[in-house]
Formats: sequence, C-alpha cells, structure tokens
Amino acid sequence: MLSSIFEPESVAVIGASNNETKWGGRILKNLLSGFAGKIYPVNPKETIVQGLDSFPSVLDIPGMVELAVVVVPYAIVHSIVEECGKKKVKGLVVITAGFGEAGNESGEIELVSIVRKYGMRMIGPNTLGIVNERARLNASIIGRLPKPGYISFITQSGSLGLALAEWTIATEMGLCKVISTGNKAQTDDVDFIEYLSDDPSTGVIAMYVEGIKQGRKFLDAARNISKPIVAIKTGRSKRGAKAVFSHTGSIAGSDEVYSAAFNQAGILRVDTIDELFDAALAFSCQPLPRGNNVAIFSNGGGASIVAADECERQGINITDLTEETREKIRKILPEFASVSNPIDTAGTVSFKIYNDSIKALHNDPNVDAIIVIYVHTMISNAMPPAEAVVEMKQKCDREKGKKPIIACWMGGLGTEEGVDLLKSGCFPNYPVPERAVKALSALIKHREFLEKVKIRKGD
Amino acid sequence: MKILTEHEAKKLLSKYGIPVTKESIANSPDEAFAIASQIGTPVAMKISSPDISHKSDVGGVVLNVSAHEARSTYDKIISQIKKVAPIARIEGILVQQMALQGHELIVGLKKDAQFGHALMFGLGGIFVEIYKDVSFRVVPIEKREALDMISQIKGYPILKGIRGRKPANIEAIAQVIVSVSQMAEKENIIELDINPLIANETGAVAVDARAMIEN
Repeated sequence: MLSSIFEPESVAVIGASNNETKWGGRILKNLLSGFAGKIYPVNPKETIVQGLDSFPSVLDIPGMVELAVVVVPYAIVHSIVEECGKKKVKGLVVITAGFGEAGNESGEIELVSIVRKYGMRMIGPNTLGIVNERARLNASIIGRLPKPGYISFITQSGSLGLALAEWTIATEMGLCKVISTGNKAQTDDVDFIEYLSDDPSTGVIAMYVEGIKQGRKFLDAARNISKPIVAIKTGRSKRGAKAVFSHTGSIAGSDEVYSAAFNQAGILRVDTIDELFDAALAFSCQPLPRGNNVAIFSNGGGASIVAADECERQGINITDLTEETREKIRKILPEFASVSNPIDTAGTVSFKIYNDSIKALHNDPNVDAIIVIYVHTMISNAMPPAEAVVEMKQKCDREKGKKPIIACWMGGLGTEEGVDLLKSGCFPNYPVPERAVKALSALIKHREFLEKVKIRKGD
Repeated sequence: MKILTEHEAKKLLSKYGIPVTKESIANSPDEAFAIASQIGTPVAMKISSPDISHKSDVGGVVLNVSAHEARSTYDKIISQIKKVAPIARIEGILVQQMALQGHELIVGLKKDAQFGHALMFGLGGIFVEIYKDVSFRVVPIEKREALDMISQIKGYPILKGIRGRKPANIEAIAQVIVSVSQMAEKENIIELDINPLIANETGAVAVDARAMIEN
C-alpha cells in the first residue's frame, strides 16, 4: 500500500548522517522538521545522529518501522533492502542511484525481486524522495515543507523536479504531495495517480513526464480518475528514421501520439512549466465552469483586448450579456464606460464598482466564468478591487451554481498588497491576461473531458 | 517483418470490410486483357513486386489504359522493370479499376512503443507530408471518436462540401477508420497507409495501400 509510504507511523532513515550537507543528513533533518511520528536514524558508525539514538541496522530498531528511506552506497543497497524485508518494513523510498538510469538493469531487477519477495512497496530507486504536507512528512531532499494546498506534483526529472518543487514553495503555492518517481522500478505513474485519486487531500494532479512505462494501463487509469490531471511531457522526440516506410510513420512521431493519447485519457497536456502550475492553481481553488462563455471585466481597455484575443485563440466565447445585466452595469459604471463584454470601467476603480459589477456578471445566466482584471496606475489602489473580488467569492461560495473567477492584477510594483489579499482569499493571480485565460481554458477543457472522455462511475 | 504488396494490403483491408478498388493480378498479356475487359476500362496497370514499394518512381505504373492497350502495356511495364530493377521479383501486373473521383484522404496506422497503435486520419494524396492536416488517436476507437477525428482536421469543411464541390460520405469514412482500428492488433501491423482513400457522396474506397506487418 502506498499509504505506508505517504502516511507512515514510523520512519527509518538508513544511511542517516550528522552531516547535513550529505543526503542522509539532509533527509533526516527534513523529517525532524515536521514529522510527528517515530523517526529512527540507522548508521552503524554513529551512536547519536542529530540528537537521536542511532541503530547499527534496521533490524536493531525495537519498534515497528513502516517506512524506510534508503540513502546508502550502491554496494550495500541490496542487503539493506533485504534487511528491511526481514524487519517487515512496508514501504521503501530508495534514494540510492546506480541502477537502470546508469545502464545497470540487472541491479534494478534484483532490487525489485527483493522488494517483491517481502511484499513491500518501493518508490525509486534514484528518487529524490517524497513529501506529504498533510502528514508534515518531508522524506526528500527538498529544502522545506510546502504550504498546504490541493496540488499533488509527480515529477520524473530529479533536478528539475526538485527545482520546481522548491519554486512552488518559494511562490507560496500550496502543495499536498510531491513524488519524485525515480526509475519507477516497482511503482510508477499508474500507482501514483490511482493513489492520489483516492487521496481526499489531493484536488489536482500536476505531472512532469519524460516517458510513460505502461502506456495503455496509464491511459485506462487516467480515464478512470475524475480529478484533473495536468501534464507537461518533454522530449519532443525527432521523427522516425530517414527512410520511412509510410506517410503515417513519418508524421506520427512519438510526440503526436502522446498528445492524442493524453487527450483520449482526459489528461490536460500543457507546453510550458508556467502553464502547468497556472492550470494546477486554478483547479486547486476555483470551481469548474458549466460552459465556455466568459465575461471579462477590467479597468483598462488594452488589457481586456489582450484577454479577449487569448480567449479567441483558446476557443472561449466572449458571451453576450443579458439586457438586464447591461442595465445593472450601466448604473454602476460611469457614463462613458463600455457596458458590453469585455467591460471596461474606463479607468475608474473602486470597491463598489468591482463588487457590484462582478455580482451582476455572476448572476447573468449567459456567463459561465469571469475574468477580472485590474491594471495598476499611479492614481489607483490595488486593494479595494481585491477586497471586492474576495468578498464576492465568499458570498458566491455559499450560493449554488458558483462560477470560476480568475483574477489578473497587472503592474507588479504597488499591487503586492492586493495580490497577497487575493492569494489569501484563494485567488490564483495571474500577472498577465494571457495566463489568466489559459488557466480558465484548462478548467473548461477538464469539464469537457468529464463529459466526453472520463469513465463515469456507476455508468 | 514483412512488407505487403499493394494487392496483398488491399486483401487485408477487404477482410475488414473496407471497400477497395476492383483489381486482379495478371500473369500474361492475355490475362491483362481479360481482367481489363471484366473490370471495365479504362484501367490502371501497376507492377506488383515485393521488392518495389514506390511503383511510379521506377516507371511501374500506367494509367488510363484501354482494353486493346492492355496487352502491350503489360509487356511495356515488364520490360521497363527488367531494365531498371533487374533483380526485383515480379509477381505480375496489377490491373485495377481507375481511381474514382472524390476527396483524397489518408488513413494510417503506426505501432507505438508506449501506447500500442496510433491511428492517423487526414487529407491525403501526394502533399500529405506538406500540409500535415491530420488527426491522431490511440486505438481502439469507436465510431463516435472516428467522427470526432474527421471533424478535427482543418479541411473538414471541404469534406462537408464547399464552393460547389460535392461532399464526402463522412459515415463511410468513419467506418473505414473504425475498421482500421480493429485490424491494428489482430494483424500485427507495424505501419499502414491507405493513401489515397477516395471518398465521394456514395462511399469511401481504398485506392492505394501499403502495409508492413510483423511475421
């Protein structure tokens, strides 16, 4: 069970060190910084490691060990894992490298056979570890625990995955689980998305993928999961050899096939790292829209045109507002403002204008989603419109039929306070309109996946 | 790995209910005449050899042949091939119903290491690799998805009939796609092209096909 890995009661760090610049030291330190369960350092050369009694072997630990993090040299890794099996350890995170990734397939097969023999589950080898924020468990070399959130991140790349995980922490993006897959020797993406699908604290799965091991099984698993899966798949490989037999063979590179397969399984494929987290963030705190009709509200005409252009590219409809809504907005906005969609306040900014207008748009049956833009100027204040949006959302959340509201506070300098308020009100803020629109587009696509692709339970 | 001749590839397609051009292999000038008369002229005559996959590149294809030209065309193609490809094994000359009028499409398969088989649909003909107006799915797919695939290409409005051009029978194309999806695994296809698949108002017919299969 993967729950032994993510929600263990006790953890042994085999290869624990007093030296925090070594992986075995770093991981122990990370565990100590948050995890409330039992922690056992294992190191035959030390008696005390980072203030805890150290054990010569996992077999010497008096109590039960549910998870073992293995950070030992390759030469002894197999015997260490064998000992874990004898100790009835349930889950393993094997950090040690030098297996399939280094061309050593036989060493990996041997490792898996030991793991199987004792009925254990293993992540890795060659993983950077795992994080479960909910359990305050940081069994990885990622610097610190992320803020709590609903995004679970599966990454195949070691260093890039690490950098991305660190970056999400720096941007204070909330994460739930981080899984560095390593070589996927015994557990792979199929196991992870199935586990995360049943994990109540995961709202959206973000994936960094270089290759999928069991393609068909992976697609079936993804199709069965109603939670959104956003993936970046790298390695847009070269087309086949020069002497290609058929046109199909020549055009159908692996990248095209990946796109088709992901689409068929309801996995949202994105092209850039920005898009991956922009979409994940939107999923983690906004409801899905019923359709693809958007209203754009802005204090600046230019920004709303940029947003409208991106909507056009993404196939999102700039909807016609009902006469009733236009009448309401006409009364809210100054005389010279535009009351048809995209709505432009002609520079006027106030709590009341943003609050009343967004409320009117939210009540319009023609509107499925709202993009609210604030363009910062020397004479405007980013706070009142942010307060208006947050208050509106709180009100709407209590009502039925709530609609996604995507915020775009532009200008950077001078908007910090407003942006922080948005974040605390669970508003993903996108610094430019295109990113806001693409994030909304992800919500719309997932709604379509749910209708068309995903296998509905009970059907 | 085995490369099928056009005629063998089409027999495979027929097995899955995909309409193909009327055709038969002639092993003599007289047979060529008899087949041409039976199919109805004009016919296309093509070299059939497991060693020649690009038939027109070696002068192995003659189009619009009338019944009384069938015998001489037979001799002409054989002597041409003996000249340019003396070691090629010759199975005979494929005498074939001339291509129908309609939209030139492509339906193809490619075995994929990760996901099984990829199925491709798009505008076909000789410019397929220039325009690349195609859509992909991983097999197996059902009719609904086949229809979705067809509607996804940029040229879809052309298939629906624009500017006086007659529409293509979308249902018939979808049926071909579904049949190709069904044969992918059963026939151990490595690569397959139906190009062109010609579709008009009445149906869709595989006019040329090439296939590579696992033994």
